[in-house]
Formats: sequence, structure tokens, C-alpha cells
Amino acid sequence: MRYVLLTLAALAALGLVGAGAVVGLGLYNVSARAGHWPGVPWVLHTTYNQSVRLRAPSEGEVPDLSAPGLAELGAGHFESACVFCHATPDTMQTATATGMKPRPPHVTDTMEHWEPRHLHWILQEGVKMSGMPQWPAARADEPWAVVAYLERVRAGTAPDVAPPTELPADAPEALAYCATCHNIDGRSDWPQVPRLDILDGDYMTSALSAYRDGIRGSGFMQHAATAVPEPALAELAAWFAAQDAAGPGLGGDAALVEAGEELARQGTGEIPACIVCHGPGAREDKPAMPDLAGQHATYLRTQLHLWRDDGRGGGTRANLMVKAAQDLADSDIDALAAWYASLPPGGN
Amino acid sequence: MSDILRMSFAIDPSDHCGATRAGHHRARRPGRARRVLPPLLIVALAGCQGRQSVLNPIGEDAVDLATLFWVMLGGAVVLWLLVTGLFIYVTRFRTAEMSRRWAEALIIGGGVVFPATVLAGLLAYSLPLMATQRMAGDGLVVHVTGEQWWWRVVYETPEGARVVSANEIRLPVGERTAFRLTTNQMIHSFWIPALGGKTDMIPGRENVMSLKPIETGVFRGQCAEFCGASHALMAFEVEAMAPEAFEAWLDREAQDAVPPASAAAERGAAIFAAEGCGACHTVRGTDAIGRVGPDLTHVGSRHSIGAGILPNQVEAIADWIQRTEHLKPEVDMPQYDHLSREALLDLGHYLKGLE
Repeated sequence: MRYVLLTLAALAALGLVGAGAVVGLGLYNVSARAGHWPGVPWVLHTTYNQSVRLRAPSEGEVPDLSAPGLAELGAGHFESACVFCHATPDTMQTATATGMKPRPPHVTDTMEHWEPRHLHWILQEGVKMSGMPQWPAARADEPWAVVAYLERVRAGTAPDVAPPTELPADAPEALAYCATCHNIDGRSDWPQVPRLDILDGDYMTSALSAYRDGIRGSGFMQHAATAVPEPALAELAAWFAAQDAAGPGLGGDAALVEAGEELARQGTGEIPACIVCHGPGAREDKPAMPDLAGQHATYLRTQLHLWRDDGRGGGTRANLMVKAAQDLADSDIDALAAWYASLPPGGN
Repeated sequence: MSDILRMSFAIDPSDHCGATRAGHHRARRPGRARRVLPPLLIVALAGCQGRQSVLNPIGEDAVDLATLFWVMLGGAVVLWLLVTGLFIYVTRFRTAEMSRRWAEALIIGGGVVFPATVLAGLLAYSLPLMATQRMAGDGLVVHVTGEQWWWRVVYETPEGARVVSANEIRLPVGERTAFRLTTNQMIHSFWIPALGGKTDMIPGRENVMSLKPIETGVFRGQCAEFCGASHALMAFEVEAMAPEAFEAWLDREAQDAVPPASAAAERGAAIFAAEGCGACHTVRGTDAIGRVGPDLTHVGSRHSIGAGILPNQVEAIADWIQRTEHLKPEVDMPQYDHLSREALLDLGHYLKGLE
């Protein structure tokens, strides 16, 4: 018995010395060119597949992926953040991208056998030791846009989203990049993307800084705000702020709009009166707080949910809005978003 | 005892009281004093100043309750002396065995008949006292709603006018004022020890009581039912006023705010608007229309701020706005620590000026 134990101890010590030598003396070859030993790719890939299946959200958590604008927004982000590795449906991957180990799949192959919920998990969490990054923000709502885009790619109906090629002569640097999603005049056609023409320049600069510093979470905007050189942010904000925001409101369900107006104008014993900070009305003295009249309802709903449930970050006054939103019911959020969207920008 | 403990929580730390210091000093001595003194200290503390004491009654109901207390205390002392005397007598002086007849007479007489008679008498004396607290008022009705952690107050005059205020109760001396008490989220208890007993505030219910101050003065009220992190910081000032003075005050309280004229106050008013304070607070006559927090139309004339926790002074108002979450844990009001000290003081001048 003693003999057996001593043998086992000696073997364990030998194993530790061997492992230490591999790590400490650099004996393992990490060369991507050298590749893996036989069987290792199968082990790694199976581990990956099973891990994704175990952790992906349930069927019930998948939103309506055919919502207007969703796949387009996903395409816009994909175009900016993902094409380097995965290319577009019409282009091939660069030789650099295909030199990665493991080799990233071409966008038309990314779906493999995955269902939308699996794709969401991969986009949200990223994959260790594969080069696939995690989504820049912890919030789970945004990756669905890219999932929607990938589903359109799978169906062969990928939306064609690209930066505008014709720009005004006085356009600031990087306007084309922003205009991919926000349009040159700041009025996005996609309801998930906020209208910028109704916002104040200083407010937008502060929001962009918050994205850049990681204080306000958004995979789309943290990527965008770090892709553009910092000095350009204020110029871009000024460009969008200078756009003419005139025009009619976006309309909305009449009963919802009416309920939203009452809540926003009067507040309750638990909910502040929105109009005091966010208009409509004469409020030039409140540049730190965004005007909301004419804003997309979908965008407003998302933001209010983030404020209430996830403690959304923002400028120096973000804590005010966290408290303001803490007692909103889902129905309040729907009503407020509908009313603000129905208003003409800058109207009263 | 629990009520006395609660009261000790509510003692304003700024109150100066010789007994407090002496008590602390003596409590440091080791041994028996350490065990005995803290309860005594609490009793001594509660008696300080009498601004929040059942032993310093200024209301008709409180006088009844104080009398009840003294009667009960006197009775308890007599009973204690009797029982102790009997105990000493049978253990020291008459140690021989008692006859069965005497023993049975003592058990039935002293254990059943005597307590039943005494308790029935006390019950007959004390039960009718409850009725006065539920008497209808003479006309004025004060609606008080418990909030986290402050008091929403609405005065309803016999003519039907409603005057909104907060965190302070003013009452006319010599009149019985009805209170209608409720709350939205948490159970609170409304208690002005100097004026009368306490009444719970229960969500979905309206409890009714009435109080009648018999002398003018300023007292302190306190939430007397644990209601969360800042329960101990949910107090209010009470002023019993001569009827004419009360009428004049109520007329003034019903008016719109008069914007204060100093330069600092004007800057403060602009900051108040720019920071969106009016989304939660009402200042009647301005764009401030919110209902989440206390009405501030005449906040400058109140005896305290922050629901009885800070003096109503410019510096204290600035401190409160800057550090709400430190001064009142878990309070709904966010702290405005992004504002400069100058801006906070300007806000203080504006709010103090809203008289």
C-alpha cells in the first residue's frame, strides 16, 4: 500500500514538473500556423457548441426579429464592427481574417446550425480564445438587431446598408459614418435609432463622451464613439444640433397618447412631471436634459426600460433619471413614449 | 417600553440636555451601573425639554393620557409595596405554617377577587378615554399621508378650501382638529406625544383621530411605526397657535409663492428651474408642478427641513440638497452633488426665501 502511494506521488510530482516546463519554458507552440494536434479542434469545437446550447436564452425571450428597422440597424453595426473578420454577403474575407485560428466564418456561414437565441448568446457574451469579442455593453437588448440581420442574410434578403456617398460640402469629419444609421440630417428612418436633430449640441457631446468613457452602455454607440477621433465628437454633435427639426409628429395610438400626455404633464405622487425637464415648452435653460418631443417611441421605450431596470448611465445628472424612472409601470412607459413621439419637434 | 425606545431614537441630536452628558459619564463606570444605567438614561433622555414627551401634555387628550399614566403608576407602586410587604412578612415575621383556610382565602381573595376588581375598575376608568381621541373635530380637517420618509399635509377648512403643505402641522389652540391619516406604501404611525396618542397609517385605509391643543407652543412629532431605513428620520414640527394667528397663517399658506428678491435667491430660482426640481416639487405660482416630493411653496417659513431632521437655514438646505442620501438613507430625492457649493447656497437662499 505504501509502495502504491509513493509511486502515485512520484508520478504526480513528475506531471507537475512536466506541466511547469511546458508553461514556464515555452515548450508549447502557440503558432497559429502550426495549428492543433489531431483531435484538439474537435474537442474545442464540441465544448463551444455545448456551452452555447446550455447557456443561450429560451425561445420565449426572442423578440420579433422582423420589427421594422431592426435588421437594418444590425446591418449598420455589422458593417462597422464585424466585417473585418466576417466580411459582407457580397465580399470575401480578407487573407488576414482567414489567417486567424480558429478561422472566423464568413457572414453567410456564421449561422451554421444556430437558432436566433444561440446567435444572441454568442454576440452578447463572445467566445474565449476564439477572437470573438463580447458585446461592449452588458445590456441584452442590442444584439438582437444583429441576430435579425443574420437571419435576413440566411434568408438571402440582407438589407443593403452603407454610409451615404454624397455629403454636403461643410460636413464634419466622420459624418458619413454616423449617417449610416442616423442619416445626414439626424433623422433616422429606423425607430430604434434616436432622432438627433431635436437634441442640443452640448447634450449630445456629453452623451458621446459618456459612451466613449464606458459610463453609458451601448454596444452600437460605444463602438461608434470610440471609432471616431475624439475631437470630431463635438463637431458631429454641433452638426446634428444645427439641423432643422421642424415637421409633424410621428402619430400614435390615440388612447395611449392621451394617457401619456396626462402623466407627462402632471406626474403623480410617485412619478415626476416629465415636461419640466424634457419639454415640450420653453426650456432653453436646461441644456443638460434632452428634448423628447418628436423622438422615436421605440427608442424612448428602450431607454426608459434601461433607466428603470438597469440603472442606465449618462451625464453627471444620470442619477436624477434613475430615481425619476424607478416607479414607472410598463404601461406608463408605453404611454409616455407614444405621447412624446406624437408631438411635433420643438412644439408646445 | 418599546414606545420609550422609539422616542429615544427620535431625540433631536442637537438638543442640549445636562442629563445626557451626566448619564454618559456615569455609564462608563464598570459593573452594575453599566447594566442599570442605559434604561434609566433612555427615560432621562425622553424627558429632556419635553418637546416630544407624553409627560409634558399640551393637548386635552395628552392630559388624559398623562393622568392615566400617573394613576397607573401610583397603583403599580401601591401594589408593589403590598406584595413586597406581604412577601417580607411571611418570610421573615410569620414563618410558621399557615392554616389551610387562611391559605385558600389568600389565594382566592388575593389571586382572583382582588385583581379582578382592580382591573375592572381600571378598565372602566380608561376605556372611555379612547372615545375623546375619536371625537369629531370642530371644523378644520387635516389630511396627513405618510410618505418615504416625510409627511404630505393638506388642510381642509370647513368652507371646503384645501391648502397643501408638508412636514409640519399647525393647529389652533382651543379647537378640536380632525385628522384623516393614510399612506401609500408602508405602514407609518402618526404621533405627537405632547398632544395625544398615536394612530397608525395603513395603506388603503383612512384612520381618523382628533387633537385639541390647550396651550400655544412648538412641539415635535415622529413616526412611531418602523417603516424602513430612515424611519427614525421621519419627524415633523408641530405648532399650536392662537386661533387668529392660525387663521392668518392658513390664509398665507394658501397663497401662491412670493419669489424672493435677493440676487442669490434669483440665481437660486434659475438653478431650481434648470435642474428640474419642479418635476417633483410644487411651488405654486411657478412652473414647478411635481407631486412626488413635499410642496415647497412656503418652505421657508417652516420650523425644519427634511421632515424634522435639519434646521431651516440656508446652509442646512444646501447640505440637504447636496447629500440627501447620506442624511436620509434610501430617500427618493436624488442628491445634487454635481452642483457647486455656490449654486447649492443660492438654492438655499431661494428656498429659505419662499416664506
